[in-house]
Parts: sequence; structure tokens; C-alpha cells
Amino acid sequence: CNEYQKALKAEGEGAIAEKFKLGEALYNEGKFEKANKLFAQIVPNYRGKPQAEKLMYLYSNSFYKMGDYYISGYQFDRFAASYPKSEKVEEVSFLAAKSYYELSPVYTKDQKETKEALEKIQNFINIFPESEYIAEANELVKELDFKLEKKAFEIAKQYNRISDYPASVKSFNNFLFDFPGSTLKEEALFYRLDSAYKLATNSIELKRTLTGVVQLKKQRLEEAKEFYTNFKKTFANSKYISEVDNMATIIDEELNKYTAQVN
Amino acid sequence: QNLKYSNGEKYTLGEIKVSGNTSFSEQTIVAYSGLRKGKEMTIPGEDISDAIKKLWKSNLFSDIEIYITKIEGNVATLEIRLSDLPQLNELKINGVKKSKKESIIADNKLKKGTKVTENLITTTKNFLEKKYKKQGFLNSKVLINTIEVEDSIKTARVNMVLNIDKGEKVKIKDITFNGNEVLSDKKLRKSMKGTKKINRIRILKRSKFIDSTYQADLGHVIDFYKENGYRDARILSDSIIYNDDKTISLEIDVIEGDQYTFGDITFIGNTVYTNEQLNRLLRIRKGDTYNGVELQKRIADNTKPDAADITNLYQNNGYLFSSINPVEVSADGNVIDMEIRISEGKPAYFNSVSVVGNDKTNDHVIYREIRTKPGQLYSKANVVRTVRELGQLGFFDAQEIAPNFINPNPVEGTIDMEYSVKETGSSQIELQGGYGGGGFIGTLGLSFNNFSIKDIFKKDAYKPIPMGDGQKLALRLQASRFFQTYSFSFSEPWLGGKRPVQFSTSISHTKQFLFNPLTRDADKSRSFNITGITFGLAKRLTVPDDYFILSQSISFQRYDLNNYNTGLFTFGDGFSNNLSYTVGLSRNNTSVDPIFPTNGSSFSVTAKFSPPYSLFSDVDYGELKDERDINETILNDPTQSETVRTNASNRIAEIDQERYKWLEFYKVNFKGEWYTQLAKDLVLRPSVEFGFLGAYNNDRGEIPFERFFLGGDGLGNFALDGREVVQLRGYPNQSLSDQDGSTIYNKFSLELRYPITLKASAKIYALGFLEGGASYNSFRDYNPFTLKRSAGLGVRIFMPAFGLLGIDFGHGFDPIGNTGPKNGWETHFIIGQQF
Repeated sequence: CNEYQKALKAEGEGAIAEKFKLGEALYNEGKFEKANKLFAQIVPNYRGKPQAEKLMYLYSNSFYKMGDYYISGYQFDRFAASYPKSEKVEEVSFLAAKSYYELSPVYTKDQKETKEALEKIQNFINIFPESEYIAEANELVKELDFKLEKKAFEIAKQYNRISDYPASVKSFNNFLFDFPGSTLKEEALFYRLDSAYKLATNSIELKRTLTGVVQLKKQRLEEAKEFYTNFKKTFANSKYISEVDNMATIIDEELNKYTAQVN
Repeated sequence: QNLKYSNGEKYTLGEIKVSGNTSFSEQTIVAYSGLRKGKEMTIPGEDISDAIKKLWKSNLFSDIEIYITKIEGNVATLEIRLSDLPQLNELKINGVKKSKKESIIADNKLKKGTKVTENLITTTKNFLEKKYKKQGFLNSKVLINTIEVEDSIKTARVNMVLNIDKGEKVKIKDITFNGNEVLSDKKLRKSMKGTKKINRIRILKRSKFIDSTYQADLGHVIDFYKENGYRDARILSDSIIYNDDKTISLEIDVIEGDQYTFGDITFIGNTVYTNEQLNRLLRIRKGDTYNGVELQKRIADNTKPDAADITNLYQNNGYLFSSINPVEVSADGNVIDMEIRISEGKPAYFNSVSVVGNDKTNDHVIYREIRTKPGQLYSKANVVRTVRELGQLGFFDAQEIAPNFINPNPVEGTIDMEYSVKETGSSQIELQGGYGGGGFIGTLGLSFNNFSIKDIFKKDAYKPIPMGDGQKLALRLQASRFFQTYSFSFSEPWLGGKRPVQFSTSISHTKQFLFNPLTRDADKSRSFNITGITFGLAKRLTVPDDYFILSQSISFQRYDLNNYNTGLFTFGDGFSNNLSYTVGLSRNNTSVDPIFPTNGSSFSVTAKFSPPYSLFSDVDYGELKDERDINETILNDPTQSETVRTNASNRIAEIDQERYKWLEFYKVNFKGEWYTQLAKDLVLRPSVEFGFLGAYNNDRGEIPFERFFLGGDGLGNFALDGREVVQLRGYPNQSLSDQDGSTIYNKFSLELRYPITLKASAKIYALGFLEGGASYNSFRDYNPFTLKRSAGLGVRIFMPAFGLLGIDFGHGFDPIGNTGPKNGWETHFIIGQQF
């Protein structure tokens, strides 16, 4: 540690090279914070010089290893822009994207960083389609995509939970439209049906609108029936199937009343 | 060489030379320009202009030019000619006070080493002149000189001299109008909002001359004419006359034209609402004086977002894409026929509703409060209310919540709604030590307003504490030599997550030791303990409207006395239990900022009562009362012997222990407050309070707990016995009630508030108040008109980490007792929110 403190305080021409050397050694030992402090001191001195490429690579990486992803993302991006011909550029571009990935918060909070990360990773995939990191990049995309999916799903499900059924149906419709291949599709279809079913069975009979009187309950029952058919067709072996079938029975009973009336 | 841009040819770059007056090395400049030996480029072409642009952008050079010096085959030799911008060396400012110089330097970024460009000089000059003119120095002049520094240092440097001549403050001596016959000079002057002539009485607005304000005021004069039907009124000319160095006069020539009246008003394009419905909002009839300003207000009042105008009628009922245009169709004989053209559009439904910016608060906490739901018909009123209610959560900066309309689709009739929020700190830490109550008092208080109890065992969630579920958690420890208080409270606004039913609970324990006058210390063997627990549920109602909240709670408190004899209790060893049920109804629609509400009102009625024990008990309290009265007489009779009096005292203690074993009482409270915006920033807050404590059984009497203490700052920091401390400034703390508290009180207050800043980091407002209140011990004495009155001024500062702090200076106009001199000035320090 003594050597480190001395290097940290040293000044003059010779000290710069010494700091670089010690910094690199510390970096290789895994002491990233110490290395980072030394690098930060000498970065201005190497600007424009050939050694800067290696220095900036280590410097950016030290931020990444320290978990300071905001800065590492920025530094990696700068590296990629400054040294487009560097042999490290592919790795650095990937790490830049991954830095943004690390910043993505839990799905229940604002997903600004998630969307940024997705954009960055997609960019990386577009530029380096043959990269060795592609498999990992695809994994990251999948994970981030799922966050957005899960967020939309949970919001729609909360409307069901607080008994705001029209909002829930609408949100699940939006969800199914936005994420057609979602792994949460089965649950989404189930909750959409559940919301529509509860909305229909608790509905008032008629509603007066500008264009005339609407048979609100019948309309809602028909919509619920449609959602049921849709669910049954897609997930016939679902764990929800008995519950769903029960709903269908009641929906049919209610709907039969209307046909009985006509007869 | 001159070459045409269009027929540029490809060259390879050879040598690049740099010439001109510069201290930078050739290599640096070439590298910065982006030109490189061996680079292929079209000349003339993009690359050269890019290089020039890059050099300009560096803000280091002037006169940048690039020349081709030689062409050999396809190899071009270039020369970059430029000179360094001079740096600012020394700055001299003449004509202003020393203290103002620093702000001039900071405002214009005139630090040593700044590159001096023509732009810098011009903007500095304009900035300063404008600034002084705004302050009323109409004749101010600013001169800027630069002088080159010649010395051995290569870098080009200049000294700058700022000569500022503010001149005299110019006031407007007179404003005269020519050509006005119908409206008097006085009325027209009044219509000018910011340009006023000298008036010694008026103190709020000064009679300075600011050109931009003056121009706007000329517009106001015309608007004033328009409001009175003079649609053709114009300003013919206006002149400024310089009387002397200190005053100017304004002369304004106007042409009034004729007065117009409204003719037929017809609605076109309305299908949803009938002419009758629309006319009811328009309230303008044929023959009325023509008033374009009022007409516009009835159609869309931009000053009030919730005004009852035609636009809002459509906007609140889904017609987001509607537009309403009044058109004059004829103006025959000074009678104007109007057509109000309405394009209704499709009713708009919300497609998706989202929130951005919540990097601490979880989605579910926010979405459940949003009143605009996906699939619902658009309503402006609901958007406004959502913004208000998100602000009231206290997790976001109320001033920064913005509703954004995204992807409006008039064809489909859909709109996406995005609420953009900004998190603010909602945790408060209180750590204080102080001297008071006869010794050192240490306090540690933690309150988290956006806690997440489910994350309490998750390590990752500690940043620095688990947050985001909207729960409140507070811990408070307070200790001195004489007492210790521990309290804990927790509340969850949506118990179970299905309905807005708030659950809250709190536990507290207080231990107080008796002061021992011999050792001047706490006597640990004699103590008074209070332990309490409360559970409450509060539910938002839908009837009569959904601003109502019904709350219920059950609380239990046990008072335990160990050899603790004071004036308050006749029995030194004993206990008292207080089991009570509280039911309250409150309504709160104050908006928007909970720290500084500007409109709306809030009121609450609560009733707290204990079970009527005396109904089931076979103790004859009447008999006990009589016996107590007799013993009391004996006790106060000095002719009785010591033993007899001690026996009487013991018997009183026994009787009181029986009376207070289980406290029997009921208590009713009413509080109401209203907020109105008087002017843009001035808010008036009238409020009224009333409280009454009673007994079911008059023989048992009113309890010594749960009483009202009126007067002073209203801080109930150390409330032992369920007492309610009521603020009445201008009098010492709790001075306006009996020693043991009162059973009835009322209070009326009028407060005027003015915000100084409402930024998220610190909200500061000033206030002035008039208030009056009184407390009584029975309805026989009650008289709502004999009040203890006071008035005063104060200031409040709210900072997210510290909560609310404030100081008030109050003047009491009445004596504290029934007679005597008036109380005079009192200073009150306010800590924490007042409700």
C-alpha cells in the first residue's frame, strides 16, 4: 500500500509512466479502485499519444469492474468512438452495451434505462453480427424484453386486482398486441377473460348513449365468451382450464336468457 | 487558388502547414482539424468545411482559413491560417459597487482566461443595459473597451474595461392620453398593469419604466377598450418625453372608434350539445355590449383550468379533438353577428396510460391512484385531478408532475397518456439534543414516507433503505433524565392492495420519573408509565363524493402510577385504563402541493368515545361524589386535625381511583380550513376549530385526561395524557387553558400566505395571520365572541430532509387571564407539519 500512496502523490515526468505501470499491475491483481485512481490522474497526460488506447481501455474497464456502470458505459462509448480501428473495439462495444444493461432497474420502476440498454445492445448486434458475444447479447435482450413484458403484464393485472375491469381488459388487449409471443400469454389470456367475465356478470343491463340504448350486459357477455373461446383454443391444457370452463358455463347460462326472451 | 465547389476533384493530402498568430503547436492544430497527411478527399468539398467548423467549435481561434498552396499531380498541400482568440487578462469594472462586481462577473462568465469574442462583448453590454433598464435606470449606458496586453508571454491577451453609467433612476411623472372621449385617462391608466405614474401612496408597484412591460401595457389599453365594445380602438402613436434626468412623461394618442354590440350568435357544428346548453355557458345575448375578451373567456378561459366554459364542456366529456372558433360573420351598423364554429371530432379514449420517472416508487403504488384508465373516455377534469392526487402522495415533486399526451389519433379517437414524475426525498431524519424540561433531552426520529416493508429482508433493496411501496414507517426515541419515550408507527395506504383502505398502527411507551427536589434529580423509584397501542382503518368513500374519507380506530392506553404524587393525581399509586373508539369523517380536496395548497378545502369531524361503563356497573357514583365533596371540604378546612385531613385525602384518592379505573368520556372535534388564491401567488387560508370533551355520567365527572390546551405554538411534543395542544399564536404555550386543561375550545384564524420559492429542494413561504380562540370548562361559560385575539407574521421553510421549520411573531391583544394588560409580542418556533 505504501508504494501505491507514494505513486499517488508523485509528480513530474517520470511519475506518469510509473503510475501507468503500477496502475496496470494493480488492475491485473483485481484492485480496480486503486488502479482507477491512478489512471484518472494520468489520463490527460496521454491524450493524443499512442499509449492512450491501452490506458483508456483499462480505465474504462476499471469503472465497469467497480460497478460504476454510468461512467463505464460513457467511457466505453468514447473509446469505441475514438479508436474505431482498435482490436478491442468489439469487446468494448459489447461492454458498453452491457453497462447500460446493468443500469436497468427492477421492472416495477421506470424503464428508461432498460429501453436505452435494448437500443444499445441491438446496435451492437447490428454492427457485429458475427461476434463471439452475440449469444450473450441475445440473452441480455431476452432478459430486458421480459422486463418490459412483465411490467405491462403486472400493470394490467393490477387493474384486475383493484376491480377496474374495463381498464384491465383494455390493458391486456394492449399487452397481447404489443407482446404477441410473450411467455406470459397464458396468464394474460386468463386474466383478460377473468376481468371480462367479472365485468359482464356484474354489469348493468342497459345503457343509454347518444346513438341509442345499448344492451350493455349482453355485449359484455359476448365479449367474455369470445375471450373464452380464444383461451380454450390456445391453451386447452392450461392449469386454469377448470376455472375457465366454470366461467364459460355461467356466461352461457346468462346468454341463454336473451335467446329465451326472443323465443 | 480559386476552385469551383461543384467540380471538386479527389486529392491526396500532402503537407499541411499552419500559419498565423497562434501559440498552439502545428501538430495540435492539424490533429484537431481532423485533416491528416495521406488522407483522400475532394477539394473543394465537405472535408475542408468540416475542418474549419471543427476549429471554430473549439472556441480558441478567429479568422480561420484553409488554402491550397500547391497541387502536384493528385497531391495537394494545404495551409491553415488562423489566429488565437485573445484571453481575458484583467477586468476592470467602473461605476458599480464592489459587491455587485462579482455577480456581474458570474452572470457574464467574465473569468480570467475566457476567450474574448465580439459576441461576448456584445452580449455582456446588452445584458447589463437590459438589467439596469429593468431596474428603472432608463438612461443607463455600458461601454466596453478592450486593450491588448503586450508582454513577453506569447498568448494573445487583452484587458477589459467595463464602464457602467447607470444614471439616475427614471420615474414616470405622468401618463396622458389624447383622443379618448368615452374612457377617462384615469381608467386607461388603471388598465396598464405594470406602467404606473408616480404615486406616493402606492407602495407595492413602483413607477419605473420597462420597455417590454410598457409595450404589453399598450396592448392592455386596447384590450380594455375591446372589453367595452370599442373593437376598432387603436393606439395611433405614443411618445416618451424626457422631462429631466429623473422623470419622463408618456403621451399616448388613441382612436376610440365606435361602440359595437352583439348581434345574432349562432352555433354551427354542434351535435352533442344543444344550442340551449351551449348558450347557458356563453351567457351573452343579442344587444349586449361587444366584449371580445369576455367572449373568448366563455369559450376557453385560459386563466382557470377548471372553468365552466364551452371548451371544458367538450374536454371533460371525451372530446379531446374538439375545437371551437368564434367568427364574426357581419358587422353591419356596429352590430356584430357571431358564428361559433364547433368541430367536435371523435370522442377520444385513452389507449395506454403510463408513468415515467418513477425510479424509486413502484408502479402499483402510482397506477392505483391514476384516475385516467386505459379504455376510458378522455376527461380533462380527471387528468387535472390525477396530477393533483399524485402530488399529494408526497413521493413526487408536486410542481413537476406533467401529463403528456402522446400519439393523438383523431381518426381512431385514441390518445396515450403519460404522466411524467420526479421523485423527491420523502424520508426525514431527526436527530437532536437539547436542553429543556430541566435537563438534556436527546431525540432520534426516523420517518420513512415511502417505505417498502416487504423488502425489509432483501439486501439489494437497501439503497439506503427499502423504498417504493408507499408505506409509512416512523420510529422515535426520546430520552432525558426525567423521561423516556419510545414510539413506533406504520401505515399501509391500500391494505391488501385491492381497495384504498388505509391500515395504520402505532405503539408507544412513555416512562416519566418524578423530580426529586432534594437531590434535584429524577427519582427513579417514583414513576408514571404510559403504554398505548392503536389500530386504525381509513376508507375512501364514494358518496357524497370521493374526496370523503371515513376513518375508525381503536386505541388502548394504560397509565400506571408508582408512588407518583403530583397535583394532577389525587392517588399516587394506581392505574387508569383508556379504551376508546374513534370515528372520523374528513374531506380534503386541497391542491396541488401539500406543503403549499393554493385552493380547495379540508375539514374533519371526529368523535372519540369510551364504552359507557357506568351503565353496567353497580357502583353508585352519585354517592361517591357526595362523599368526595365532603372529604374535599374537610381537606380544605384548616381547623381540622392533621389525622382527619390525611384520612380525607386518602379517601379522595380511593374514590378517584374508582372513578378513573376505566376512563369514561366522549370527545368531539371539528376542524375546517379553506384555501383561496387571491392574486397569482397570494393564498388566503381561513380556518375554524372546535372541540368538546364530555362525560356520560355527570356524577363521575369529566376525566383529567384527553383535554384541550390552548395557546402558543401548538407543538405537542411531550403529550402524556392524550391531551390536545391547540395552536394560538401571540400567547405563551398552553396559557389560555386551565392548568389541567379545558373541556371546550374554539378557534378561528385567517392566514395570508405568499410563496418565496417552491422548488423541490426548499419551499419557503411567508405568512401573516389574524386569529382568536378561547377555552372553557363548561357550556355555562361558553361564549364564542369573547376570544383571545392575536395577529402576527411568520415564515415557513420546508426541506425534504428536515420537514417543516418556521418562526412566527405573534402579538396578543388580550390579557391572558380575565383582566390585566394585553399580552404583547411572543415568538414561536414551529417544527413539523401543522394540521
